Amino acid sequence: MAVGPDAAPRDPTFEQSQAAVIRSAVEAVSPAIVSIETVGGAQPLRENSPAPIEESFRLADGPTTGLILTPDGLILTSSFNFARDPTVITVRLSDGRRFVASLLGRDSIRRLALLKIDANDLPTAAWAKRSSIRPGRYAIACGRGFGGSVPSASLGIVSALDRRNAIALQTDAKTSPANYGGPLIDIEGRVMGLIVPMAGAGSALAGAAWYDSGIGFALYKDKIDQVLDRLRGGRDIEPGKIGVILAPLEPDMLEEVLGDFLPQARGVRIVVVARESPAADVGLRPEDVITAIDGRPVGDVADIQRRLSDRAAGERISLSIKRRWEKLEVHVTLARVAEIRGFDEPAEAEARPNEEEDEDNDESPTTRPDSD
Amino acid sequence: MTNRFAKNPPFFPRAVAAIAAGLLVAGPRNASADPAPAGAICSVFERSAGAVVKIYGPRAGREHGYGTGVVVSSDGKIVTTLSLLVSMRGVQVVLDDGQRRNARLVQSDEGRQLALLQIDAQGLDYLTPGESAHLQQGDTVVAIGNWFKIAEGDERASINRGILSLRTTLQAKRLAQEFVYAGPVLVYDGITANPGASGGPLLDLDGRFVGLIGKIAESVNTNTRINYAIPGEEIIAFLGQTSQPETSDRRRDERPATSHGKPYLGIKLAGLGYRHVSAFVERVQPDSPAAEAGVRPDDLILAIGNSRVSDADEYQKLVARLIPGERVSFVVKRGEELIALELEVASKP
Repeated sequence: MAVGPDAAPRDPTFEQSQAAVIRSAVEAVSPAIVSIETVGGAQPLRENSPAPIEESFRLADGPTTGLILTPDGLILTSSFNFARDPTVITVRLSDGRRFVASLLGRDSIRRLALLKIDANDLPTAAWAKRSSIRPGRYAIACGRGFGGSVPSASLGIVSALDRRNAIALQTDAKTSPANYGGPLIDIEGRVMGLIVPMAGAGSALAGAAWYDSGIGFALYKDKIDQVLDRLRGGRDIEPGKIGVILAPLEPDMLEEVLGDFLPQARGVRIVVVARESPAADVGLRPEDVITAIDGRPVGDVADIQRRLSDRAAGERISLSIKRRWEKLEVHVTLARVAEIRGFDEPAEAEARPNEEEDEDNDESPTTRPDSD
Repeated sequence: MTNRFAKNPPFFPRAVAAIAAGLLVAGPRNASADPAPAGAICSVFERSAGAVVKIYGPRAGREHGYGTGVVVSSDGKIVTTLSLLVSMRGVQVVLDDGQRRNARLVQSDEGRQLALLQIDAQGLDYLTPGESAHLQQGDTVVAIGNWFKIAEGDERASINRGILSLRTTLQAKRLAQEFVYAGPVLVYDGITANPGASGGPLLDLDGRFVGLIGKIAESVNTNTRINYAIPGEEIIAFLGQTSQPETSDRRRDERPATSHGKPYLGIKLAGLGYRHVSAFVERVQPDSPAAEAGVRPDDLILAIGNSRVSDADEYQKLVARLIPGERVSFVVKRGEELIALELEVASKP
């Protein structure tokens, strides 16, 4: 017998109301969502160091997604979308108009990029108030990466508020290259954050292998605002490093440290100082113990790495150092990885102190680099 | 439902449950003992699962050896996706009630990647494919299939729920090759493509059979798996074909044969012979369609019609599909400007 559709009319169900809400939320933000098309560029090469699994994600060259920030043509998107270093970038608005775009700057910490097109009176999106964003609220991830005449929509919730030193919220809406650079909206169509891949060591492709996993991230507006001027001015933002390899304190040293501080004081031991580095510039030496950053006591190696993971090259931090019985305060200007040279005995030193840490974190989306 | 019990001896636990439910309803009215009102998804499942079959076949190469299908006639025609699984000998179908039947392939559509199997049976529950045009973004859709062959023996297939995310044209690849089907698809959110599910039905909340879960494929736009169904309209067209195996016009890069000749525009690109070179114009032949439209040397061709031109290879592919006599729009980058031009495709002299 034929089965299937029920002829009797039904009252609107929860699902129908949900569908209408999703549609109107996406419609509200859709005019501000752009499609980014690129020409040229190539898959980035793996770096010489043993690369984590995320480096094997092969980039496609299909359209990606962006969000109009200002009526005169500033467009937010994800740096992931430019990992191929394309030669030509064009932006296509929801009304079909195409513009050549220039890439003003990339932030490889926040995985953010800023484009500019020459236009005016462009539609912009409304942003949700930070206080309205709460775990459990519905979230819809929108993107243009699959083509089509309307943005794609993936429904989920806000999973957590403070990720990666509170620069991003976490969602279980599906995030992927189909919507990186696009808006994560609430059911009123207001943007809660900009969708970016956010995991791993901060390389261009990091996090992409976790697409559609139910763990996705979106940058908060105020965190984007903090770097907007730098990006507008054409300055890229890269992770800042001190130039040292760290290890946990050894028990006998801990007793020495405890003798001078409160019982719960901890610290992290410097094992290697790179010859050309901010650490070398201020005279740090192996066996120096870092006890605080910017006045706040540090926990363990992972804690230091996490706290420094979002600091950019060019920023200054203060380090409280314990050297034997001396206490020092030094100010360090963080440098780019490329500017740091002279890690002597790299293989041995890296393997010894931090191996445990890396093994634990290998499969998680928040694996950290093993050197600072 | 009565059909099923009449055909077979009742499966013992189900009979017990049916009797127990009957006793509950018949007794004095007790709110806490009332069964919860069936939600839309529950009733869609109950009304449709009877027509979903599990398909098993020999494992070969990359073929998993299992999948899902939909009964579309009471005498045992089954629609599923086209793959080695159904093209080989020894294909078995397990009906929703656990009966096993041998199946043979009677019709296939290479372009749509669809297949029709036939089993020996009568009086089966079946679903009729319907149009999907009414579906809108956000609408809840459900899929029934045998993901990871979790349903064993006579266990019923699994149901998953999601929403319609997008309608688009599929541009995908499968195992490093272009995926043959390049037609319209229903992309959904919340239902994940995994082995075993393709060939199962996609249903809306009214229980309409609006699509068929597609074979696992990666979108070439993103290099990520795309979760989609072949729309009901394509299934209707497939079933409307004659019983001879046929190729539909959904196949990529194929056009109906014409006597118009090969398309000619008069554009020579720079750097032919190298891979992945951008489509820069080196020379424009005088009096050619390109010359008339105003294409100039050093223009970078960005789009032809609605298709993006990513490199010179892509440009050649798109031009090869043009038909002499048709007008096509070009978008080129000239210096820092984007310029739209219209060309009238000519025949190769």
